[in-house]
Amino acid sequence: MDGNRKKRNVAAGVLCGFLLVCAVLLWSDLHRMIPAGGERELTIGVFSDSYWEVQNGYSYYILNDAIELFEEQNPGVKVTYVSGILKEDYSEWLSEQLLIGEAPDVFFVLPEDFNDLAELGALKALSPFEESAGEFSRDGFYSSAYGYGQYDREQYALPYECAPKLMFVNKSILDREEIGMPAEDWSWDDFYEICERVTKDTDLNGVPDQFGVVNYTWRDAFDSNGVELFGPDGEECFLSGASVREAVSFVDKLESLNSGYSVATREFDVGNVAFQPMSFSEYRAYKPYPLSVKKYSGFEWECIPMPKGPSGDNISSLDTLLLAMNRDTKNAGYAWEFMKILTCNEEIQSEIFAYSEGVSVLKEVTNSERTLAKLREHVDDVDILNHVVLSDAVEYAAAAPRFRDYDDAVAEVDRAVRDIIDGNSNISTELTIWNRTINKKLKNHGW
Amino acid sequence: MDEHKALDYALAVMKNLNLIIILYMGILIFNCLWGYVQENSALEFLSRIDTIPPAPWKIPVIAVMTYSGCLLLMGIRGLGGISLISKVAVEMTLCFLVSYLLGFGYNGMLLLVLADTMGDIPKMKRQLPFAAVICMLYLVVDFDLFSIYHHIIPFDTYLEYYQRDSRAALLGILNVAASLNTLIFIIYMVLLVRTQMNEKERIMSLNAQLNTANDELQRANVRLEEYARESVKMTETRERNRLAREIHDTLGHALTGIITGIEACTALMDVAPEATKIQLSAIAEVARQGVTDVRRSVKALRPDALEKFDLENAISRTINEICTATSAEIEYICEARLDCFTEDEEDVIYRIVQESITNAIRHGKADYIRISIRREQEMLKIGIKDNGIGCADIKKGFGLHHMEERLSMLNGSLSYDGRDGFEVKAAIPIRWGNGGTER
Repeated sequence: MDGNRKKRNVAAGVLCGFLLVCAVLLWSDLHRMIPAGGERELTIGVFSDSYWEVQNGYSYYILNDAIELFEEQNPGVKVTYVSGILKEDYSEWLSEQLLIGEAPDVFFVLPEDFNDLAELGALKALSPFEESAGEFSRDGFYSSAYGYGQYDREQYALPYECAPKLMFVNKSILDREEIGMPAEDWSWDDFYEICERVTKDTDLNGVPDQFGVVNYTWRDAFDSNGVELFGPDGEECFLSGASVREAVSFVDKLESLNSGYSVATREFDVGNVAFQPMSFSEYRAYKPYPLSVKKYSGFEWECIPMPKGPSGDNISSLDTLLLAMNRDTKNAGYAWEFMKILTCNEEIQSEIFAYSEGVSVLKEVTNSERTLAKLREHVDDVDILNHVVLSDAVEYAAAAPRFRDYDDAVAEVDRAVRDIIDGNSNISTELTIWNRTINKKLKNHGW
Repeated sequence: MDEHKALDYALAVMKNLNLIIILYMGILIFNCLWGYVQENSALEFLSRIDTIPPAPWKIPVIAVMTYSGCLLLMGIRGLGGISLISKVAVEMTLCFLVSYLLGFGYNGMLLLVLADTMGDIPKMKRQLPFAAVICMLYLVVDFDLFSIYHHIIPFDTYLEYYQRDSRAALLGILNVAASLNTLIFIIYMVLLVRTQMNEKERIMSLNAQLNTANDELQRANVRLEEYARESVKMTETRERNRLAREIHDTLGHALTGIITGIEACTALMDVAPEATKIQLSAIAEVARQGVTDVRRSVKALRPDALEKFDLENAISRTINEICTATSAEIEYICEARLDCFTEDEEDVIYRIVQESITNAIRHGKADYIRISIRREQEMLKIGIKDNGIGCADIKKGFGLHHMEERLSMLNGSLSYDGRDGFEVKAAIPIRWGNGGTER
């Protein structure tokens, strides 16, 4: 009887151990470590159209070149991707793949998704790879672009391509008004002065029909006035500082120039507005390509850095497309190699200037003569693109804070600024009140 | 034994109920996750949670596997000490993992582990620490507490996939099942406590029975001792009667004949001296016959051992018998020849040894006895010393008295000392070798 019981106990123990080992294998996905059919497969998550909302027909060119290079260097590894996912569906597609546990090993991350994905733990921390890989150097990247891949002091993504915001100037209006081109280090005062001079009612019908600026928002003002809106962990908002007050009053002042008339983007397109902040990618999309519709054909234009505020510099925000690794990837080594090819390989990166509308995240590539030549290939007027302007705009771009509620917080700040500009109360007092409200929400994550 | 059956039954119901609950929750979670993916609201779902859950199908599969592992562990019974503690610890860990997988929406498995552990440990005292630890975990396994340190998706968040009404219905089913589990747990514990109390009562009644039997046994023992004493007395009486009869039949008969003959001789002596002579020789014959009869009688009274063996063997045999019968250790040293004594001398020597051993064990409670027999010139010296309680104030009993009497008949002497253990020394003059042999 006793011997029987012992036997039964041992059998139960062994069976239990077996079950638990199976459960652990399943849970940790270790069974996927076994390469199927002797060939490893590296999967990439990518969207089919350009990040810059331009249908250029070159969607997979750069990726295919990178895959070719990678497969040459790593025989026995096959790189695959699902094609045909539109950018607008990409976030949802990636979320679904993550939920069903089928997410690709390496995937592009849209800036608006980065905070969520990093917070969810979907992304693999890259610092161990960076430290172990001898040939990797983060100094090759523009530090601002590289910083966009950080979350909570850890590197979760590498920048792939970026585009700074530049100020587009309608040269025809300035010439007509006999105003010279502003210098590259122009200030808010210069900016305001020009806007004040150009805003007028040219056909004398009682309504102003020529304006200074369109689409210049409080965010542009904040970026160029050195405003650090949020603490690094997103636990605090600094809305009551002097630089914020300056920026808000400046935006208020600019808007009041139009005497209540709301300027539409179309006014710039038809040549009635002197300035418009615009992404560099937009400039590339509409200016150089002969096949694309020449949207701004009726006037001469040029782009310069954003005007600087009293406490800031001529800098703007940077739009960066990121590349990240799946936390649960079983091919981390290959995934890292592939990420390096896409982001650090100068050949591949220089293709951005050929097949995309962004700017390479590598200083070496963006600064090279070859790039300049490529950029000028289709540009009739060589002078409109100042090489140094571009590189500086990327290098000194304002960093976006990384925390999960960032988008909600920014929406709240937007409401605050709108409320203050539309109202007539004291800006300082209003900012302090709003600051308290937003801080409370940040602390409780109550959006 | 019906109660044990009820306990097993309750435990089995609990095990199955928990399996159903875990399966139910796992499938619900699977359905929700799959639903989010199918309805293209995965992005919206991800924005509401803090961590990415395992693939949808894995949640019910792993939960059921882990729970089955836990059930198998529960099947291991009768452990003790460290192995029992580690078994319960692993069971609790597995339950915790299942609960974690299911977003801490249910922790009733811990009640099952508690019930099973209580049933497996027979002693109430040992049950307490286990019960305390498991109850602590039961109280602590809660989403809000763990979400501080670890990203967890609460069960309710998964369920937000459903409309409000169906969510309420699905949660209601879960709550009913969880309450049922708690109810069965309570029933189980009540049954368990009752069974244990009954067991205790049974043991107590058995104990009482044992005590009664013990008392009876003691009384019987006393009676037996009384009976033994009576028996000894009766034997003595019988022996005395036999001796009296023997004396009457032999000595009495001979002496009566001798007396009658001598009286006749007195009367005849002067009248017929010849006839008197004849008569006297007849009387002598009667006396001789009497002596023969007395010898026969004495022989019939000899100890058994001496009847069968010579003295030396008889003594060693007796010593061996006592050694095996009692725990006493007897050292026997004999440095003299013992084969040349007359029967009555042998009797005396044997009786002294036997009586002294008996006294040492019965009265002295000795466990070590040293017997030495040696010859010193014309004397045989017998010394018997024990390590018993001794006797400061010696009252001569029948034994000692008897020994002294017998020895004096052989011109021997007896001395004894009861201060350190008890020591008897006897000396018997040796008659053989100097012509004093007498048969």
